Amino acid sequence: MEGKKVAKTKSCAVLPFVTFIVGFVGALVLGWWGFPKVLYSEKAQPIRFSHKVHVEDQAMDCEQCHSYREDGSYAGLPTTEQCAECHMEVMGEDPDEAKFVEEYVNEEKEVPWLVYQKQPDNVYFSHIAHQDFDCTECHLDVANTDTPPVFYENKLSGYSKHTMKMWQCERCHAQNGASNACYICHK
Amino acid sequence: MGLDRRGFITFLVGGAAGTLFTPVPWKLLDDVSIWSQNWPWIPKLKYGAKGVTPTTCKLCPAGCGLDINTVGKRPVTAEGNFSHPLSQGGICPLGAAAVQLLYSPARVKGPLKNNGGKFESISWDEAKKILAEKLSTQKGSGNVALISGDENGTANEVLAAFLAALGSSDYYFMPSDATAYATTWNKMMGGQGQVGFDLENSDYVLMLGADLLSSWGTVVRNQKAFGQKKGQYIYVGPVQTGSASVADKWVPVLPGKESVFALGLAYYILKAGKTCSAKGFADFKEYILTNYTPSKVQALTGVPANDIKKVAAELIAARRPVIVSGSDFGQGSGSLDTVAGIFLNLLLGRLNQPGGLVALPSVQAVDKAPDLNQLRQNSLINFISDVQKGAKRPDVLFIYEANPLYALPQASQVASVLDKIPFKVSFSTFLDETAAKADLILPTPHFLERLDDAYTPFGAGAVTYSVSTPVIKPVFDAKPTPDFILELAEALGVDLGISSFEDVLNAKAGKLGADWEELQGGQAYVGDKKVFQSTLSLPTQTLSGGLKMASTEYPIYLAPQAKPYIGNTKLATPPFGVVTIRENELKGRDFYVHLNKATAKKLGLKQDKKVKLVSAAGQCKALVNITETVMNDVVAAPLGFGHTAWDDFSKGKGDNVFNVLTVTQEKTTGLYVWNNSQVKVVKA
Repeated sequence: MEGKKVAKTKSCAVLPFVTFIVGFVGALVLGWWGFPKVLYSEKAQPIRFSHKVHVEDQAMDCEQCHSYREDGSYAGLPTTEQCAECHMEVMGEDPDEAKFVEEYVNEEKEVPWLVYQKQPDNVYFSHIAHQDFDCTECHLDVANTDTPPVFYENKLSGYSKHTMKMWQCERCHAQNGASNACYICHK
Repeated sequence: MGLDRRGFITFLVGGAAGTLFTPVPWKLLDDVSIWSQNWPWIPKLKYGAKGVTPTTCKLCPAGCGLDINTVGKRPVTAEGNFSHPLSQGGICPLGAAAVQLLYSPARVKGPLKNNGGKFESISWDEAKKILAEKLSTQKGSGNVALISGDENGTANEVLAAFLAALGSSDYYFMPSDATAYATTWNKMMGGQGQVGFDLENSDYVLMLGADLLSSWGTVVRNQKAFGQKKGQYIYVGPVQTGSASVADKWVPVLPGKESVFALGLAYYILKAGKTCSAKGFADFKEYILTNYTPSKVQALTGVPANDIKKVAAELIAARRPVIVSGSDFGQGSGSLDTVAGIFLNLLLGRLNQPGGLVALPSVQAVDKAPDLNQLRQNSLINFISDVQKGAKRPDVLFIYEANPLYALPQASQVASVLDKIPFKVSFSTFLDETAAKADLILPTPHFLERLDDAYTPFGAGAVTYSVSTPVIKPVFDAKPTPDFILELAEALGVDLGISSFEDVLNAKAGKLGADWEELQGGQAYVGDKKVFQSTLSLPTQTLSGGLKMASTEYPIYLAPQAKPYIGNTKLATPPFGVVTIRENELKGRDFYVHLNKATAKKLGLKQDKKVKLVSAAGQCKALVNITETVMNDVVAAPLGFGHTAWDDFSKGKGDNVFNVLTVTQEKTTGLYVWNNSQVKVVKA
């Protein structure tokens, strides 16, 4: 009778610890593995654009499409009009190229590209001030891809998973001795 | 071993503790905060290359050249074009709002048909079919009329050619000093061409009523000329307007009595031996020397004879004086108002001289269109009076870029008169008061969306031609009116001899010797041609107008004020304009009228008192503002308030002074006048 009581006491001391650990570990697994799966939806670009075809096959320079304008501002992605300088008509066999010509060039519409590093309107980012860095320090390395990387869209904020957060900007500025004053990025 | 209550709670506590070591709470907090900043109604910036597209403003008749700044080919702001002679880098408050007005809530979004007071969307083809049916019965009967609010566009030639082809000569421009000058200079005086004023080369600019630096004629160019003035600017008028406040001298004279002041000047100048070669000079001179003696002019204007003599001496002494006469608010002038000013210029030998009054040639591109200068002499007020009397009864009325239900004198009565016309078609970009009462609204695009032009805006000192080029595709389903009229003409089987509106403008450029490509690129054509006058005569019968006695029943003179930031005759206050309206112009839903201390005391009125302006024509409600910028026995009242259509930016603010303006008919000329309205100011 006495022994039984002791055993029960031991079991009472261990079980809560086990359930706590199970809950704790379960939360860690869900939080680190499951949560991102729920938070982000996976999206493909409207047109399967192949950088590889343009860079390797056509030997184009990055600057032919991603250039600075005369006033130093960065043009970012090329407009449909620029693309149409070559793709006024379908040039190859790729169905996505045909889709691009039909739906965007012929309709004179811009392609709603999903921008992996899109910053909010209240952030002023100057590419020319950062031109000594490699593009891939901030951007995904898309230059050699045949299919653009999956775009992970945050279901709540609408931004890409890869959009740089303010603390990342601040860290880099601090490390490089650049000012972190508000007005540097928020005009 | 089962999971009891305690075990379950411990599991939850473990889970909660574990969650704190995951991104879940922190990421969620961050994302929710970002989510809360991205509501769908918050506008998003659209990025793209910056650009500049030059064009010509059509929001008022001044014809300024604008540079439209674009981002990704989308217009964002408007600036004055430095290389354009009528803007020279300057812009007025309406031009500055040009881009904003593209997206105005008052824009008509597509063709609309009035179905028992409710507008229904229709297609352009349906609209064409309805009109083709209506007009096919009118062909040759002359039962169609048109009111145009575009003072200087070649679109008028297309529309007038169409009306002429249907057998109608009922083409009317909205009244302005441009139409007043066309009537006096071209019709009564036998003048050729269009009157202009070479302010840039003048060393003495005498403004008789014409508020050159606030709202009159080529206002931005006038301001630029003033900025580089070579001599003096003198303003004569009842209110210290924008012109009076910066002029070298302000001579307060009652509304409509500026012409008497001018004849007072003429007296001294004639006495000094000046003469002119126009027919009828002897009679004209005799009448002035007999009836406009210094003592009489002093009694009529309240200006001491010595002051008048001094101005006359300055005019004689000046090397290049010019006299610009007109209505303070740009319309309603009597024949004497313009004749007296023109006469002074003739007397001083200023016709077609540098820095003087110039006569500029007109150029027409549509062979089948009547002469626009002739059409400007058609009196819209006369037409409305004829409709009221039943002397004219058009079945169809076209209204192009005009708002007669708001911006004609006795506006509230105009509405009931136009109701007698069974079918009205408004070609308006915006849902204005007139469009709201129309049977069909066929929206013409905003000028940034269409091809258009401006030929020698009234007041310009030289032939000036510039073109509006489309900066953006129409934001809504609008169609340029000349294009629609050409389609309609084709449907009716009417040959106007025009293939397209662009061809018409191209032909006009060709006739002028201007380069079409350069015009489209924003460069204005400037010509130096002037029209020699050989048939000028002086209409002595106009001279008795200045001697008319004032009304004693309505003892206060009304001086309406045109202020572009509040709007103009075809445009209501734009959103940008709303924030520039001062606290002594609008309070809540009431607008202010302005009197000086002496007048207020005489009428027993105090600051902020509610009053009614009552005239023989109508009345309006206002608050009193006491200011010494207004002369004795005058109430100054801004035009542009009291809209009942448009949008929340302009509707229900103040009252419409056009309702109070009283039209009288000159006995000797039959001309309708309303720049000398008189009112009673009574406590409300």
